[in-house]
Amino acid sequence: MAGCNVQSPELNNVIDIQGLKKSYFLGNLEVPILHGIDLCIKKGEFVAIMGPSGSGKSTLMNMIGCLDRPTGGKVMLMGRDTNAITDNELAELRGFEIGFVFQNFSLIPRLSAYENVLLPTYSNTKDGMDTSGRARDLLKLVGLDDRTGHKPAELSGGQRQRVAIARSLINDPSLILADEPTGNLDSKTSVEIMDIFSDLHKKGRTIVMITHDPEMEQYVDRVVHIRDGNIGNN
Amino acid sequence: MIDLRYAFILAFGSIRSAKLRSTLTALGIIIGVAAVVANVSIGASFNQYFTDELGSLGSNFIIIYSQDVNIFYDTELELIRNTPGIEGASAFNQQTAPVTYLSATRQIDVQGVSEDAQYISNLGVAEGSFLTDKDKYVAVLGKEIATEKFDKNISVKNYIDITIKRDDGTSVTRKFRVKGILASEDNTFVTGGPDRDVTIYVPIATLNEMLNVTDYGGFSAKTGSAESVQEVSDEVDKRLARALGVPTRDLDNDDAKPYRIFNQAEIIEQLDTVTNAFTILITMIALVALIVGSIGIMNIMLVTVTERTSEIGLLKSMGYTKPDIIVLFIMESIIVGVIGGILGTVLGLVGSYIVETYLGVTPVFPFYLIFLGFFISVFVGLIAGVYPANKAANLNPVEALRHE
Repeated sequence: MAGCNVQSPELNNVIDIQGLKKSYFLGNLEVPILHGIDLCIKKGEFVAIMGPSGSGKSTLMNMIGCLDRPTGGKVMLMGRDTNAITDNELAELRGFEIGFVFQNFSLIPRLSAYENVLLPTYSNTKDGMDTSGRARDLLKLVGLDDRTGHKPAELSGGQRQRVAIARSLINDPSLILADEPTGNLDSKTSVEIMDIFSDLHKKGRTIVMITHDPEMEQYVDRVVHIRDGNIGNN
Repeated sequence: MIDLRYAFILAFGSIRSAKLRSTLTALGIIIGVAAVVANVSIGASFNQYFTDELGSLGSNFIIIYSQDVNIFYDTELELIRNTPGIEGASAFNQQTAPVTYLSATRQIDVQGVSEDAQYISNLGVAEGSFLTDKDKYVAVLGKEIATEKFDKNISVKNYIDITIKRDDGTSVTRKFRVKGILASEDNTFVTGGPDRDVTIYVPIATLNEMLNVTDYGGFSAKTGSAESVQEVSDEVDKRLARALGVPTRDLDNDDAKPYRIFNQAEIIEQLDTVTNAFTILITMIALVALIVGSIGIMNIMLVTVTERTSEIGLLKSMGYTKPDIIVLFIMESIIVGVIGGILGTVLGLVGSYIVETYLGVTPVFPFYLIFLGFFISVFVGLIAGVYPANKAANLNPVEALRHE
C-alpha cells in the first residue's frame, strides 16, 4: 500500500490516497467500483484523471472531494485522515480546502454572479478575510468585473463557468477539483476556460480535473488513467 | 456555522423567487392567525361590554331577594344599612300593574323604592327629579314609559293612575304625579335588577300601603368600593342569616336561608366564565385553521426541498454542514409563517374592529394580541419547517449533485 512515498513535509501532499476501495450495495449485493487505489497529488500539481464512462472516475472524484466516504483504505486531505472526522467536520474541511467546479456550472439562479461567488463564505470564512473585496477581485481575475450584478440566466455558458471558477477560489482552497469543466462548452470557450486553469496552475494552484477528453492532456503536468476501478500507467 | 443574517438573505431570496406560491402558502397562516386574533379580540370586547353594562347599574352593587313573604322588614333594612362598608341601602317591592294615562292602560312593572335607590342603582334623571322618602303619590318614569309606551308622551307634572292588586283579591287605584323621567341607559340585559327604561318607580311606603303589607321583596345596597364588595356582601349575608335565625352551621348553605344575595363581583365572575368558555371554543376552531395552514407550509417546503435537491448538493460540496442546511430551510418556513402572521394579525384586528363596531360593542385590542399573533406564526413556521429541513440536511451530497 503506497500513496505518497514521502510522508514529510506532510503539507506538501495535498491528496494522499492509500488502498482506497469503494463499493456500492444493491440490497445485499456488493458492487465494487474502486479496487484499492493509491494516488498522491502534490502541492502545485495540475493532474487530469481520465477514463471512459463507467471506469470509476466520478467515484474517485467524489472520494478526492470528500463528498463520500471510502469502503476501505483512506483518503488524506492536507494531512488529515478523513475517516477520523465527523460529517460536519468533513463538510467544513471541504469548505476550506476544496473548490469545486462542475460540468453544469451549478450556479444558484436567484443570486447574482457576485452573490454566487460569495455563497461559500456564508458558511465558512477564514479569519480576517475581506470576502466582498476578494469576490470582486476574483471576478476581475476571470474577466467578469463588468458582470458582477448579472444573474446566471443573463450570462453565457463560458461566463457562468468563469463565475463558478471564481466561486471555487473564494476561500483560497488547497485544491481545485474540476469535474468535466468544459463538458458543456463549445471548443472555443473550452480553450478560454482551460487558459484560466493554466493560469491558476502557473500561480501555484493545485488542480485535479476529471475529463474524458484527450485534448486536455496538453494543459496538465500528469495524467492519471483509470480503468475498471484501477489506476493504469501514471 | 452559517451566519443567521446570510441565512435570512438566502431564505428571503428563495421566497421572493416564487411569489405566487409563497403568497398562497402564507394565506393559510394569514387566515388562521387572523381568526385567532379576531376571536380573542371579540371575546375581550364582549367581556368589557358586559362589565361596563353591569357597571352602569351601580358598580359596587349588592342585591338581596327574599324567597318568601314576611321575611324582610325595616329591622333588616337597618341591619344592612349599619353594616360597615355599606354606603346606602334601599328596600324594594315590585308588581306588574295596570297603569292608565289619558284613558289608555298598559301593564307596567311598578317598583317601590326609597330615595337611596337613585344613588345605589345610578339612576340618572333626565327631567324633573327623583322621588324622596317624604313623597307620597309621586312616580318616576323610565324613558320608554314616558316616550313610547303610551299614545301620547308623558311629561313631568302629568298624572297617571296605578292599580295595585292585593293578596285578598281587592285592588286599589291611586293617582300619581309624575315627578321625574329617567335618562335612558342602554343596559337592557343581565343586570340582576329591573330594566330601568320600562319601570315606574314609586315610594316604597306608598306601594306597601296600597299592597297592605309591611314586608319587603328585597333590598339593594351599595358598598364604598368595588374591591370591598365581596367582603361586605359576605358580612351582610352573615348578619342577615344570624338575625333571621339561620343556624351557624348553615351559614355556607344557601338553601338553608330564606333569601338570595348577589353582588356585582359574582355576576361579573359568572359572565367572565361564560365569555371565556365561548372565546376558548371559537379560538379552538381557529386553531384548526392554523394547523391546516402549517400543513400547507410543510407541504410547500417538501416540494421546495425536492426541487432544490441539486442546489442542496452544491451547498454541501461548498462546505455547508447539516446544521447550516437545517437553519436555511427552517429560516425559510419561519419567514413565510411570520409574513403570514403579520398580515394575519392586521387582518384579524381590522376584521374584529369591523365586527365589534357592527355589533355596537367597544373594540378592545389587548396589546398581547400582537405578540400572540407573532409568536404563533414563528412557532407554526418552525414546526412546519423541521421535517423538510431535516430531509434536506440528510440528503447524500453525491446523489443530490447528480439530481437534475
